[in-house]
Formats: sequence, structure tokens, C-alpha cells
Amino acid sequence: MKNNFVRLAGVLLIIGAVSAGVLAWLNDTTKDLIAQNEAKASMDPAVLEAVMPGSVLFKEEDAEFVETMKADNKQFINLLTAVDASGNVLGKVVRTLSTVKGFNGDIELYVGFSPDGKITGTSVLSHSETEGLGSRVTTPQFREQFVGKDASSEISESDFDAISGATYSSKSFLSAINNAITVYAEYVK
Amino acid sequence: MNKLKIFKNGVTTENPILVQQVGMCATLAITTSLMNGIGMGVAVIAVLTGSNIVISALRKFIPDEVRIPAFIIVIAAFTTIIDLLMHAYTFELYKALGVFIPLIVVNCIILARAEAFASKNSVVDSIIDGLGMGVGYLVAMILLSSVREILGNGTILGLRILPEAYEPMMMAIQPPGAFILLGLLIGIVNYLSRRKKA
Amino acid sequence: MELVSLFITSFIVNNIIFMQFLGTCPFLGVSKKIDTAAGMGIAVIFVITLASVITYIIHYAILVTLELEYLQTIVFILIIAALVQFVEMFLKKSAPGLYKALGIFLPLITTNCAVLGVAINNIIYEYTFVESLVYSVGISSGFLLAIVLFAGVRDKVDYADLPESLKGSAVSLITAGLMSVAFLGFSGLQL
Repeated sequence: MKNNFVRLAGVLLIIGAVSAGVLAWLNDTTKDLIAQNEAKASMDPAVLEAVMPGSVLFKEEDAEFVETMKADNKQFINLLTAVDASGNVLGKVVRTLSTVKGFNGDIELYVGFSPDGKITGTSVLSHSETEGLGSRVTTPQFREQFVGKDASSEISESDFDAISGATYSSKSFLSAINNAITVYAEYVK
Repeated sequence: MNKLKIFKNGVTTENPILVQQVGMCATLAITTSLMNGIGMGVAVIAVLTGSNIVISALRKFIPDEVRIPAFIIVIAAFTTIIDLLMHAYTFELYKALGVFIPLIVVNCIILARAEAFASKNSVVDSIIDGLGMGVGYLVAMILLSSVREILGNGTILGLRILPEAYEPMMMAIQPPGAFILLGLLIGIVNYLSRRKKA
Repeated sequence: MELVSLFITSFIVNNIIFMQFLGTCPFLGVSKKIDTAAGMGIAVIFVITLASVITYIIHYAILVTLELEYLQTIVFILIIAALVQFVEMFLKKSAPGLYKALGIFLPLITTNCAVLGVAINNIIYEYTFVESLVYSVGISSGFLLAIVLFAGVRDKVDYADLPESLKGSAVSLITAGLMSVAFLGFSGLQL
């Protein structure tokens, strides 16, 4: 009886160990490529241009400062400085999650602010909204309504055009922008 | 001839989605666009065929009492392999399919084929069965996601084919549409197969 | 209260069956009689909640610490499989009637997309321990609600006069779709 148990456990252990080994190897091989993909998603030139026209790089801020901001605001992810090709500072960029879930989960945004506190642009970094419906929050047509808005106060729901049939996704997007505005107003201005 | 029959079986007579009606979670959720449907279908073919090969090769080695956990480990391993590969090489698709990639491991089709076929047949036959069932799955995905994308978005593979003036049928892309359209699709398949028998 | 809002959202607004499609296999398979459906629903609540707790702890205590996140799928599904085994043995002793009625669908809880889906989502959504608990109970209660409602409707549908081709799964799916429309109405509900 005991012998049988050892045999059964042994087979499972071998299969498990071989599988784990294969996966460990594969994980190692693809690790860099995966990290690259995740980084590229946020540093794509099209994204930079959409958030802060003319920018070529988003630079990190002081890590401790960002940590205090993160401790205070759960959805806030990162604060960056946008610079153009000559190294001039164009403004600040807030990376944040939505405070209100969309249809299928959170929406992650970059929101760019000019030095005089106006929104310069946005870009959706990730979302799980329905393809063809809620995903329309990523289109320029939807996002351009926010350009030029002042960061002195949150944008109210009566002040923006949601996508018809995708209210949930639109409101989630709005909550993300408003969170960026809140963070900007409190820590940057 | 026998080999061809095994393949055809998976695509038509025992089509996993349209006839056996298993593994429907991803079918309903992912089919909002044809590209996603194809992507998921191909991923399933890969996991199904891979695990069929390994399980068939090990069938004399795995004791009967622990066969289910053993199958699960193998299937989960292949699912993770596909997950890592997609995360690295097909990033856009990976983001679109999201949580449904790891959920391939609980796709009833794969465990069912392991139990019903791969553990009892040769490696070559198991490969063909895996491919057959996988292609059957892919076909069903293509059918459903084409209809949903055309009706709900006016596009196919992102290319607009219905005129701009077409007001998309929102329902097709939303959850109710998935249920209803799949139900209708199965109804049509039932009708066609009954006519064939008569 | 944020937790109450989370519960309501996972219970009906983002109902696991009608909105997220996870768990449709047992949903279509076990919903022929209301009491079997209810039994399945309760078993699922038990499994999902326990599975969430265990996978959550294992993920953060072991997988993350040892940087073995890529083993998440294997580890999670094995935990779930073991858990279902225990539930099976438990039910066989203490509720043999239910055990027989559920039949093959009890071990199939292992492959219920909802169980693994909830476990993974807890990690993806970066919930705290309490939040993941509320989410799990909410989602699985939503499953119970969906499956019992559906069983009630299916009872009537079985007596309807339908074209041969539509009988069985076809009409079940269409019915589920119509119920899904009802649940779509909850979208936008926020506390």
C-alpha cells in the first residue's frame, strides 16, 4: 500500500518537476522581451505625442516624492516630466488608474499637463473594455474633448460627452482623468 | 482513411462547441472581434495538440489513480507556455485575450480529450485528434466572431465592410448577443445535421 | 461603503454568468431542477471562497517571494483540484443525496472557469485580502442567483412547443441571452 502511494506521488512529482523546469527556462528566455513589451506600451512615440505634443521622453521624478503621492492616492501610479528633443521641459504627465471601474475593469491613462495647468492630451495605456464599444474611449474623437481643460477643478459629468452605449467605460475614463487632476492640483501646482 | 476520420470528427460530428457544447466560456467572451476569435482558436489548438502529444506519450507511464492530476499539470504547463509566448511575441493579442489565456487550462475540451482519447491512443492519432478538435473549435470561433463583429461593429478584422451609415447592433457585441447568437448558431447546426440524417 | 459597493457590483452588475461568461458549463448542465441548481450554487460559493483565500495566500507568500509568478496557472489549478476533491469527500459523507444529484458535475467544478477566473482576477485587480474575500463571495453568490433563476425559467421552457432544432442547448442559450439583457440593465449601478 505504502509502496503504491510512493509510486503515485513519485510520478506526479516527476511530471511536476519537468513542467516546472521547462517553464522556468521559458520564463527566463522570454523575460526580457516581455519587459520590453510592457515598457514599450507606455513609451511608444505615438503615445508621447498624443499626451504631450512635441515630447520625446517622459522622465522619472524623485522616487521618494512619488512614493508619498502613491501612499496618499491608491489609483495614482507615476508622475513624469515630459521633455522635447532639445531637453526643454514641456510639462508634467500623470499616470493613473480609474477610480471607477469600467465595464470590465480599470482603465489606465497618461494625462499630460502644461505648466499653466491645462490638459495637453491623454493616452489609454490599458483597458479591458469591450472591443468596438467601450474600447472607443481610446479613439482621438473621444479623447480630444479633454484637451485644453483646466486642472483647477474636476470635470463634471454634465461637462463631457460620453460614448453612447458605453457609458460605463466613458465614466471610468472620466474618473481616471479627474484623479489625475486631483493629484496634479494637490502635488504639482 | 482512419486518420482522416479522426480529424473530421473533431471538426464536424463532434465539434466541441457546436455539438458537444463544452468550453463555452471563452467562446462567449472573446468573440467580439474576428481577430480575437482566431487568436484564441489558435492558442487552443496549440495547447490541445501539445498536451495530447505529451499525455499520449506518457500514457503507459501514468498510473490510473493519479491520471487526472497528471493531466492537469501537463495541460497547465502548456497553457503557461502559450501564455509566456504570447506575452513575448504577440503582445497586442495577449492584452486583448487577457484572463482567458490562463483560463484555457480549464477549457473542458482539453481535459475531455486527454481523458477520452489521448490517454488511450497512439501519439500520432492523438495529434490528429488534437488538431481536429482544435480546428473545430477555431471554426466555431470564426463563425461566431465574424457575425458579432459585422453586426456589432460593421467591420471584419478591423476593415469596415458595412457602410458608415450602418448603425451597429450594440447587442451583438454585448453579453446578451453572445448567448443569443451562439444559441441560434447551434440551432442552425442542429437543423443542418438533422436534415443530413433524413 | 466601498466593500458593499464591491459586493453589489460582483453580485449583479458584473454578474459572473450573464456579464462575464465564466461558469457557463455547469450553468447549462445543472440547471434542470431548482434544488440541484441551488445545491450546485452553494457548493460553488464554498469552493470559490476557499479557493480564493488559499490561492491568494500562496500567491503572495510563496510565488511572489520566490519570483515564481509564471507557475501561477499550474499552482492555482492544482489547489482548486485538491479543494474540489475534499468537497467531494465531504459531501459524500454528509449530504449523499446532493452528492448523487450533482453527479459528474461535482468534480467538474474544478474546470469551472469561474473558480480559476476569480482566483486570477483577485491578483490582477490587486485586491487586498478583505477585498478579495468580498469579491469572491459576491461573484459566487451571483452564480447561485443566476443558476437558480435559470433553473426556474428552464422548467417552463421545457414544456414549450419548439422547433426540433432549437430544443436543448440552443433555446437554453437564447433564454440565457434574454436574461442577460435584464442584467445589462444593472450597468451603471453604483453605490
